[in-house]
Amino acid sequence: MSSLQATEPRLIMRMNRREIRSSRAGWSILAAAVLLLAVLWLAVELVLSLTGNSALLLSPTELALGTASLGTATIPAALMAAGGILVLAGIAVLTLAILPGRKPRHIVDNDRFAVVVDGEVLAAAVSRTARTAAQLAPEQVTSSVGRKRIDVVVRPSSGRTVDKESVKDAVEREVSSYGLRQPMPVNVSTTMHQAVGS
Amino acid sequence: MNGTHRGLNRTLLALMGLVLIGAGATAVLAGSNTAFARNWTATGTQAWARIQENLAAARIPGMDTSWWTLAALVLLLLIAIMLVTWIASQGTGRTNQLAEQTDAKGSTSVDAAVAAQIIEASLARNTQVLSTSVQSWKTRGSAGGTGLKIIVQARKGASPAEVGTAVGHAVDGMDELLGTQLPVLVRIKAGTRTRFARSERVA
Repeated sequence: MSSLQATEPRLIMRMNRREIRSSRAGWSILAAAVLLLAVLWLAVELVLSLTGNSALLLSPTELALGTASLGTATIPAALMAAGGILVLAGIAVLTLAILPGRKPRHIVDNDRFAVVVDGEVLAAAVSRTARTAAQLAPEQVTSSVGRKRIDVVVRPSSGRTVDKESVKDAVEREVSSYGLRQPMPVNVSTTMHQAVGS
Repeated sequence: MNGTHRGLNRTLLALMGLVLIGAGATAVLAGSNTAFARNWTATGTQAWARIQENLAAARIPGMDTSWWTLAALVLLLLIAIMLVTWIASQGTGRTNQLAEQTDAKGSTSVDAAVAAQIIEASLARNTQVLSTSVQSWKTRGSAGGTGLKIIVQARKGASPAEVGTAVGHAVDGMDELLGTQLPVLVRIKAGTRTRFARSERVA
């Protein structure tokens, strides 16, 4: 098998990173579409004024004059409010550009290929392990998988107790077999409201 | 996975954010500071006067318009074309060819469907896997090869380790058949079928 050309670790890392982060494609399309509308409107107004037709909304001359005297021609409060909205929108767009946009997915260590598991899949597997360990019905265990930890909530049958430590051990053993890149501490808790008749 | 230029997306979004913040801050300043507002109008009116001089100086012979106006129109159309290109570049880079080899006798190309069928066939009988789909895209960089993305919908409660091992066997089989290791990305996900299908009660 020496003829096989192995996948570079760097490429695997890149694929993993791309799969758990947002590409910002949707926001880019939205931003480009808004800009495109504005640019096309300007172009249409320019053509209309060149051919001597009346403007759709504002002729280029009116637009330029309006922008030039905007500082004094508008009510200060309105100007400040509009400016504030623009600043907020700008901060939102800048935040989109800078934040990684992590998706609820987790990287699994592997040499041959990149593996990414949805948090939902992990949660279901953890729930299954916990209820097998505690011998409960599926509805009695709920798990949530966050970015850095796993929470398991067990609802024991009424009149019975559940050994939290053994559930925790079982879940920890199961999770460590997944080979997740980010170690995830497990937290098991029981609710006061017990399940009747199950 | 695809060839979307994520760095470009983020750079352009950041630029737009900065422009919006700049414009908004200027407006707030003009609203709260009368001197700044007067200064704005004075500068703006002067600039507009200068633009009108320039427009009059570069008049197209025999017409009422200026060369500058035409140039502005062309610039607007160029910007529009670039914006359309930006939109169209999202999600590109898919390919359906795995490999191609050309020699004196002719050329051989391997379809991506080959890899898809190998993977899907070897996972079809696995009870932990509800469905499999395979996409392929052109990898960037020196190699210029094809990458495979295998999307596996796991049964509710399936162990990701077991599903991963099964996919690993499938990929090993494919490596052997193709004689080369393609870059592979595996995504184990939940979906509508995961939510509605029975979970395996015997663990």
